[in-house]
Formats: sequence, C-alpha cells, structure tokens
Amino acid sequence: MPMKPYWKQVRRLSQGICLLIFLFLFRQTDYSGTDTIPYAVNLFFRLDPLVLAVVTLAMKTFVSLLWPAFITIALTLVFGRVFCSWVCPLGTLIDLSDRFIKPRLKREPDLKFLKYGILTVLLMSSAFGVQFLGFADPFSLLVRGLAFSLDPMMNYLTSGFFDTVYAHAPAFVSDLTEHLYQGLKAFVLPYKQSFFHLAWLSFCILAGIFLLEFFGRRFWCRNLCPLGGLLALISKFSILRRIPVKSCSHCRLCESGCRMKAFDENSRFQPEECNLCMDCLEFCPDGITAFRFSLPRPRPFVDITRRQVILAGLTGLALPVLTRTQAVSQLPHDNIIRPPGAGDEIEFSALCVRCGECMKVCINNALQPLFLEKGIEGMFTPVLFPRMGYCEFNCTLCSGVCPTGALEKLTLDQKHGFVLGRAYFDKNKCMVYVREKSCIVCEEHCPVHDKAIKFDEKTVQRADGTSVLLKQPHVVEALCIGCGICEYVCPVEGAAAIRVFGKDERRS
Amino acid sequence: MDRREFLKQVALWSAGPILSPPVFDLLSPAGAAEIHMPEILTIKGTDLPAMVRSMTAALGGMEAFVKTGDKVVIKPNIGWDRTIEQAANTHPLIVSELVRLCLDAGVSRVLVFDRTCNEERRCYQNSGMAPALEKIKDKRFRLEYADDRHFVPVTLKNGRVLKEWSFHRDALEADCYINVPKAKHHGLTGLSLGLKNIMGAVGGWRGRLHYDLGPKLADLNTVIRPRLTLIDASRVIVKNGPQGGDPEDVKVLDTLVASRDTVAADAYATTLFGRLPNEIEATLEAHQRGLGQMDLDQCRIRRLDA
Repeated sequence: MPMKPYWKQVRRLSQGICLLIFLFLFRQTDYSGTDTIPYAVNLFFRLDPLVLAVVTLAMKTFVSLLWPAFITIALTLVFGRVFCSWVCPLGTLIDLSDRFIKPRLKREPDLKFLKYGILTVLLMSSAFGVQFLGFADPFSLLVRGLAFSLDPMMNYLTSGFFDTVYAHAPAFVSDLTEHLYQGLKAFVLPYKQSFFHLAWLSFCILAGIFLLEFFGRRFWCRNLCPLGGLLALISKFSILRRIPVKSCSHCRLCESGCRMKAFDENSRFQPEECNLCMDCLEFCPDGITAFRFSLPRPRPFVDITRRQVILAGLTGLALPVLTRTQAVSQLPHDNIIRPPGAGDEIEFSALCVRCGECMKVCINNALQPLFLEKGIEGMFTPVLFPRMGYCEFNCTLCSGVCPTGALEKLTLDQKHGFVLGRAYFDKNKCMVYVREKSCIVCEEHCPVHDKAIKFDEKTVQRADGTSVLLKQPHVVEALCIGCGICEYVCPVEGAAAIRVFGKDERRS
Repeated sequence: MDRREFLKQVALWSAGPILSPPVFDLLSPAGAAEIHMPEILTIKGTDLPAMVRSMTAALGGMEAFVKTGDKVVIKPNIGWDRTIEQAANTHPLIVSELVRLCLDAGVSRVLVFDRTCNEERRCYQNSGMAPALEKIKDKRFRLEYADDRHFVPVTLKNGRVLKEWSFHRDALEADCYINVPKAKHHGLTGLSLGLKNIMGAVGGWRGRLHYDLGPKLADLNTVIRPRLTLIDASRVIVKNGPQGGDPEDVKVLDTLVASRDTVAADAYATTLFGRLPNEIEATLEAHQRGLGQMDLDQCRIRRLDA
C-alpha cells in the first residue's frame, strides 16, 4: 500500500520538529533583554505526567503550573505511547545515536519490569515526602546533561578556537572569523561560557543512557525510563491499536525488527510497549500490519510480578525514611543559599524536580547544583554560590522558569525584598582590619538602598606609631538580602572576607 | 572524521592554551597633556545632544580631535544595571551624539564599550545605552561588550604602585580615546569622575585595585590618555554611590563639563558637589604626577550658553 511508508516519515518529521523546539527552548533559557522570557522554556517538564504525578504525591496538592501534563495523558489515552516516539527529545536523540552505536548483545535479558519498578519507587517515596525524580526523569537528565556539561563544553571548544585567532591572527583573518563567531553566537552558541559543579557527573549519566544502546535499541526507554513506564500503564487504555495482535508466523519481521521489542515470549503484541514508531508498517511483506481505532481490551497484567511490585514499594518506603534519618538532615549548613522564591526546605525539595532550568538561566552562573552536601535528597538542587557569581539585584529569571513553582514567581519588588541569606564579615581576613587599608569594594557593590554595608571612618594607630584614617565596613543585618555580590567581589585571596550564609533551618 | 582529521582538529583546538597573548609595552609620556592653563568648558541645559554639539564646536569641532580614517574609542560609564533616572551611568544621549559627531568627521571606526560591574547585557539594556545606540545605523560604529579576550597585559613603565595590568586592546590601539564618565558619589574615593572611569577599560580582578586606589588610578591613567574628557553631570548621585538606586540619591544639575585635561575636568566637576579637588585622592595624585592640572586658578574656565 502506498500510504504505509508515509507514516514513518511523518513520525520522523514530528521527532525532528520536537527536537528543534526542545533545542530552541534550551537556547532561549537565557536573558534576552527583558525580565521575562517570551517562551515557555520549561514546556517539556510541564508536559511530563511523571512530574505531575510525583509532585502531586509529594505536595499532596495539585500544582496548577503542571496542567499541560494532561495533554500528554489525553494523547496517550488516544494514541498510546506515542509521546515516546514522536515527541520525546531524548528518545529522538537515542534514535539518532543508533547510527553510531549498534547493539552488541545477541540475546538481551528481559528487563522491561525495571521501569515499572523505578516508577513504583519514585511514586512511593514521593508519597512519603521525599522525591527522587531528578535521578530518573528523562528531561531532568537530558537538560542537566546539556546545561551542565555538553553546552559549556561546546562553547569552550568553539570560543577557544575563535579567541586564539582573534588574539594572534592578522586583522584580515580575525575580521573574517569574528564575523563567523558573531553569527554562531547569535544562533548556535550560548551567550557566554558557563561553569558547573557536577559537570562530570551530569555528562557521565547522559553518556551512560546512550551507551546502554550497546545492549539493545531504545534500551533506556524500554527498560528504565519511569516516564515510559507511566505512559505504558496509561496506554493500556488507549484506543489506537496495532493489528495483528500476534505476529503471524511466517516471517516475524515485525517482531525481530521492533525497536521497542513490543512482543512477549509467545510473540503476542504488547500495546503498552509499542511507541508507534510505524516501522513495522514497512517491514511486513504481506502488508497486513495496520493501526486501527478500537476499544481497548487491556490485558490484566504488565511485565512486573506482584513480588517485584511489593519489593519496589518497600524500597520506595525505605528511601525517604533512610534519607530523613541521616544526620545531615539535622545539621545546620554553611553553604545552602536557595534561589529567590524558594520556600522552606521541605517544601522546596518536594517541589524541585532537579531540572536544572534555574541554573541554566542564571545570568551570573551563580546557581550551582549541590552534590552530597545536604545528603542524597539535596543532590542536583540549586544553591547560590556567591564566590562563583552573585544574585543579580534586578533579575527574576530563575523564578520565572521553574516548572513546578519550587521557586515562586516573583515580581521585581518582591525580589528586592526576598532574603536569600545574610552576609557576615570575617574581620580576621578583611584587609581593612588586617592590612589597615581602605577597600570597601563590598560597600560599593551592595545594591540595596539604603546600603546594607556601611562604613565608619576611624583613625587607627598602626604598629609603627603612625595613624591612618580607615573606612571600616560592617553589615546592617536588617537591610541585607544575601544576594552575595559582596562575597563575589571581595578581593582577598581564597574564600572572601565577607560571606553569605543561607537561612538556617535546623529542624530540632 | 578519520584519524588524521581528528589529530588535525586536536592540534587546532589546543593551539589556544599554548600560545600566549601579545604583550603591549607602551610608553606613554606622563604629563603630555597641556598642563599649562588647560581649558575647561561647562554648559548648563537640558538638551543634551545640543549641549554636546556646542561644547565640541567651542573646542574647535570634532575635527580638532579626530582625523579622517581614525579609529575612535568612546568610553562611557555603563557599569550598573540602573536606569537613566537612577543616574548611575552616563546618559546615552551624550554618547550617541558623540558617536554621530565622530562619524560625521569621517573616522573609520567608532567603538563604544564598558567593562561593567553588574551583568553586562542588563547594564547595556537598562542604562538605555543599547536602545539609544541601536538607532545609529552605520557600519563603522559598534557597541561591544568588553569580553575577557579583549584585555591584554601592559607593563606600566610610569606606574608607581602598579607595574603591570591588563587593558582593553582597542582602547590601547585607538587613535582617539574619548572619556565620557558619569559624575557621582563613591564611598571609597569620594567621587567617581574621569580618572575613575578608566576602571571600565582595564581587565583583571578590579577589586584588587581598590586598596591604594588613588595612586593606582593615576598609574592606570598613564597608559590611556583621553583626547577629550566629557563629564556627564546632568543628573548626579549624591549618596549611596556609585550605583544609587533611589530617586532621593539623585540631584539634577543639568551640567556638562569638558576638557582635554582629565584632571582639570575632574577638578571642576568636584566643585559641583561642593567639594575641593584635592579632597579626591586620585585627582591629587594625578596632579602631583603631572598628569593634569587640578588647580582651577591655573585653568581657563569657559561657561557656554545652552
């Protein structure tokens, strides 16, 4: 039938468009001359029903920002797991990687149950108040991998080349390359080089997902992706169905060629595993494969046994308890300065899906992911790292890109009054006190009016008997909002002589 | 990509870290400005472009500063993410008028930049500088961000405290450098004026310049010598400088000050704040080094009509 190959092309087109939209939104996650970003850059997280499920369970309330996830659910109820093969940018990238990474395993063990297990763990632990979505959600892994490692790496390489030419080549060469560079900067490259903690880790996780392709095509999607698992469960009720329901016995090309391995050991078609890539329309020499609308007749089980569900459920129960009984959950912390708009710690970590958007958009590269400083629970959550960058006084971008409202959207006035922490002087290090020289770079940069850093003019007797008039700075605690610019600009060696400490929340 | 191609690429990419940047070794004669009776122009009014035109006309026209084919750098203060009303940055209309005058004089290139304190895109945008300068559609003109790569190390032959610091390459190479500072309060130095404005043309960790800032500013000013310093005192910050932020911090003076001698321009502008030139350490230091004249009795002060 002439129509058959056509659907595969449409699927590929859809994948291409969605990937381009994803990359475009990724690039737009940046300052563009206004205080709001004109695109819904967090779109893919808000379309993600797994984010909806986990956040709703963790918060015990519906977060209205996440309404687009219902579009995905509706789409799945009609067409099945079409999201995985037509929309998901990670799936598209995995499909693209198949050109370079060929499966090496002859017989692959059946691990389809794992994704349901991971899903169960995520949902259970969220219900008990600690969510681990950031370790498994495909978009969190993808965006973090891109934002923390691949994008900075690409820019580092490219700007390294152009900067070298600019510094050393004769003008007529560098004029040309600068033109090219500006063009790349306008459309492809990020505005400036960023640097992230956990660049290595984020890169390795993302690379790992692609390396899994050595075990089989779409290995991640079939066996591990909890979003795939959730969509598979929903798609049991979908009305678009492939026929025949069993691969007919003569060639089994549809079965052997299926990237999702959507057939059980008896060659029965598993609609929840099918992501409607439409390849099998092409394989079938007899042309009997087709997709039809019909009422769903869900099989009573999925590829996970009752014991596995119970085990996963118990794990999901144990993890939050384990997390909360770690000493780290009780300790006051030096370096936990949450971004503007963050609520209390418990609410923040329940809402934050570790998507990396706020850190990506941070105009001064000041927001950085935590490692284990606050235990497993805090991993990949954003904190302000003032020695790296400070919170720009008039900027509200991070709270605007948060997909779940973990950072509440702030107006400029709210932002100006939002206290991230407080600054404290280390008079054993500040050069006004140690070297008896006026400096007050901190006072100069303090953006609040009335300045939170003030100075007294004081005549000080030096050791050699001479006296000197010094400007001695101090912090007015009630005025300080903890933006960290003082710590950022402090010119002393190593750690600054003025440091911002986050709002401490010792729990007992 | 085959192996040979890969090796070629690696060689190309790794060239960057291996080669070191060029070192400028400038010897600017200290005290080259006309120390003897420098001329100071001042004008009051609200039509800033017209005031800029009158000033340059009174100094002999822009042709007195640039010749055909010159490369010009205009260095305003765009240091802060503040609006025109908040007065922390040079008024963009002054800068755009200077750019136009230079272009009309037939120069080959006009570059405007500042190394900002707040995030540069926000500063350029919210200071009004980028919106105002975008209107100038001339290929010879560029408004650029001062990326790190523009800064090259310079040995300061005449430096007393600083022996080496990095400077903006285009500022060093410019045939004509026009200094367009904002006059405003500054906690450490008292006032931020023309000599202080050089901070936006140097690289490195600028916080480290802040102790002994006066002598260091004088040192930096031995390297880049503006042909013209035009101080924006249209709206000035009188407290909570150098960024202010509150309308109460701002005083409207509607004044511009210009001179070929930065020290003289600074000295006069200081009096607008009711202070004496020698209270500003950088002015005093620069004067003592012969970089300019701060004694207003030794200057010819001309008040122009707006």
